[in-house]
Amino acid sequence: MDTLLLLAMNGLIWGLIIALIALGLSIIFGLLDIINIAHGDFFMVGTVLAWFTLELTGNFWVAFLAVPLIGFILGALIQRAVIQPIHNVAALSIVATFGLSLILQEGVRITFGTTPRRILPPIQSTFHMFGIDYEIYRLFAALVSLLALAGFFIFLHRTKLGTWMRAVRHDRETAIAMGVPAQRVYVLTFGIGFALAALGGVVAAPITTVEFRTGVDILPFCFMAVIIGGLGNLPGTAAAAVLLAFLEGIIQSFADPTVARISSLVLMSAVLLVRPQGLFKGLTK
Amino acid sequence: MTEAVLRTENLTKRFGGLTAVDNLSLNLPGRRLHAIIGPNGAGKTTFFNLVSGLLAADSGRVFFQGRDITGLKPHEVSRLGIKRTMQIKSVFPQLSVAENLWVTRHATKRVLHPFRAASSDLETRERVEHTLEQIGLTALAQRPAGTLSYGDVALLEIGMAVISEPRLLLLDEPTCGMSPAETERAVAKIKQLARTIDIVIIEHDMSVVFEIADDITVMAQGGILASGNPDEISGDERVREAYLGRPEDEDYVEEAIHA
Amino acid sequence: MMTPAVIARVMLIAFGAFLVAVPWLIPVILNKFWVSVIAEIMIWSLFAASVNLLFGYIGLLSFGQALYFGFGMYGVAIGVATLGLSFWPAFGLGIVASIAIALVSGIFAVRLTWHYFAIITVVFSLIFYFFAVSVKPLTGGDDGINFALPPTFSIGGVTGSFSDANFQYFFILATVALCFFLMHRVIRSPLGKAFVAIRDNDVRAALIGLNVYQLRLIAFVMAGFLAGVAGALFAFFGRYASASYMFYHVSGEAVVWAIVGGAGTLFGPVVGTTLFIVIREIVSTHWEHHAFIVGAVAILVVIFAPKGLVGLWNAELARWSERTNDASVKTKLRTEP
Repeated sequence: MDTLLLLAMNGLIWGLIIALIALGLSIIFGLLDIINIAHGDFFMVGTVLAWFTLELTGNFWVAFLAVPLIGFILGALIQRAVIQPIHNVAALSIVATFGLSLILQEGVRITFGTTPRRILPPIQSTFHMFGIDYEIYRLFAALVSLLALAGFFIFLHRTKLGTWMRAVRHDRETAIAMGVPAQRVYVLTFGIGFALAALGGVVAAPITTVEFRTGVDILPFCFMAVIIGGLGNLPGTAAAAVLLAFLEGIIQSFADPTVARISSLVLMSAVLLVRPQGLFKGLTK
Repeated sequence: MTEAVLRTENLTKRFGGLTAVDNLSLNLPGRRLHAIIGPNGAGKTTFFNLVSGLLAADSGRVFFQGRDITGLKPHEVSRLGIKRTMQIKSVFPQLSVAENLWVTRHATKRVLHPFRAASSDLETRERVEHTLEQIGLTALAQRPAGTLSYGDVALLEIGMAVISEPRLLLLDEPTCGMSPAETERAVAKIKQLARTIDIVIIEHDMSVVFEIADDITVMAQGGILASGNPDEISGDERVREAYLGRPEDEDYVEEAIHA
Repeated sequence: MMTPAVIARVMLIAFGAFLVAVPWLIPVILNKFWVSVIAEIMIWSLFAASVNLLFGYIGLLSFGQALYFGFGMYGVAIGVATLGLSFWPAFGLGIVASIAIALVSGIFAVRLTWHYFAIITVVFSLIFYFFAVSVKPLTGGDDGINFALPPTFSIGGVTGSFSDANFQYFFILATVALCFFLMHRVIRSPLGKAFVAIRDNDVRAALIGLNVYQLRLIAFVMAGFLAGVAGALFAFFGRYASASYMFYHVSGEAVVWAIVGGAGTLFGPVVGTTLFIVIREIVSTHWEHHAFIVGAVAILVVIFAPKGLVGLWNAELARWSERTNDASVKTKLRTEP
């Protein structure tokens, strides 16, 4: 019973981190019509940058600010250099982001190496829960993710840029006709998408390992959250990420992790076939 | 009385709160050219979509030559011989003009041969060449359809409808966007077709409607406002009101009166 | 006269002659190793062709073709190693297995189009990937199954076997060439024209009487067949099968090869696959990070040649022939009445 609660708890925390990453994937998809194969690697780059920040400054907390900022700049540059020239053509963007994914992974292998490394949590203390010592940092990670999610939704609904983003997602032609600078919105969207994934990387770095492969593992999970939540449905995506990670956590308590993964994939297939608009359509506006 | 070529019973289609086609019961006898007119949003195109199977009706039935075709899929409806053109001109842009006709001619066959070269089918080749001559596009046969002018695309659409040997042709604003010269050519073509094929046409250009139609049905808000021959319709008070109720459609009435 | 059609024919004959001469030519100018690289390129070209049949001809972007490649591979490996089959039954088992799974998954997948189709195909392939990884006794998981190669045939005293490098090369060449020939026939047939019509405009295709769902399913199964043959060949070529070949990265590579080479052209996948495997083989002897170059080339091609390398070539050729035949083109132009 204790392990069950523990795994459920871990699942919940992972779900919040995944929600951050998947949100970036979802806005890039919703606004630019791009299936971003490199999105997992944006997360991976976040973990690696967090590691470098710790190496250079000796202070992990700096990474919480610096890495999303670097991520934003990288994302904006990538949009201008790679995505904009192909005019958001979906099939080409898949190839381009696949190429991007290879470049990011190899770039990390060249600079960081292939050996997986661990980062010690900046908060070392633990507390007693469910019969074991639970890391306080994990709770902190959940809190940061929650704050970032809340911050993002406030940004979307309360700022001019956020309104532009929602307008372009809703109806590109009309938005452009109304004077929304779509090109700038695309650049910023890609930057924000990268920044969210990179922040997810920083938050997750002390929980997981830092290596060039983590993006490949996390990408299918992010896509599941986006699909099950409903393409373009941001609150649905966040909810689906938490739900999925939570369910996988619980299934893992009595079965193989692979069985957990297969179950979520089967669930996702069912959602795609029966409710391609996502599980939560109609519940949110 | 002859069996109606197209008949609907209480056909209804709603989109959310809007009832696009409202309890529509139509009876279109064969051997006549029917025109359906009405202000924007009257449900004309939705009606075509219901007949051709692109949309499923919420209730009601559709009969084609006495046969219930309600709920059939678009390709099943098409294989019964009901062909239609789209309001927004729609061909296969990357296939050549000849290939567009080719594929249309072949589409009705039960089995598409997977290995024999399409060009080796002499019977179809002759049909394609004949149709190209009919619509006057022989010189453009090898051009990708996506590079044609608007009027030529419309002619190609008519050609595609003809080559499939329809029993009923649904034309959705065939002259929309055409130049006067192109319109004239298209109208002549439609008149010629109507001698052998049952045609239902949706048209906004009143001079065209009154020139070619045997019968006119006026739709408004998803239902039938009036129906009759062109003389009856042009004199109908309710029809004038329906159009006058919408200032942007005023010129239709002008045209209708002077046609 | 050198029309584009004549140029294409001359190039095809030259290309065919080169492929036949490879086992004698390549060891002289390069070395024996490159013969097997070319054999591998042919197998992967066939795999990329399965992506191309779906995306280039009927407009469905599959990101899960590795599943059918994997079934072809495991059909052979399990057939030989576990069931003790000889060459042809194992080959047949691989192909039948991939067709069967393509049919079953296609029944669901082709209900969807576009992004949803891309995603459901990758989901299906991931389900079986994780399945293959976890059922170690049957599949060997990521380590895979190694097996001893059975002879291909034995008539009288003559035995053909993949252990003979030349035999292996020509068997692969003949099989891949046959598959490409079949695909060429399909593309030019009424069925192929119907595929392209659906790619161009699926609503219109239904209105002229094409059964869009059924035709998409047929194309999907055909693509599964091509991927399955490639997988079965690769199993014989490498003498093993592994779950890692069913991962989505393998599917993704095929998508990149097909689109960079030129989707919707018969030889586009061959060009794309050749480009990337040659880069890999040349760069990896000098620098271990060849994937970096691969990624950069993929991005550059989609930016500067959005129709792929073959598309770019065809466009240049058409421009060239238009210039040289200007006079004859003028007479073909229709005069507006």
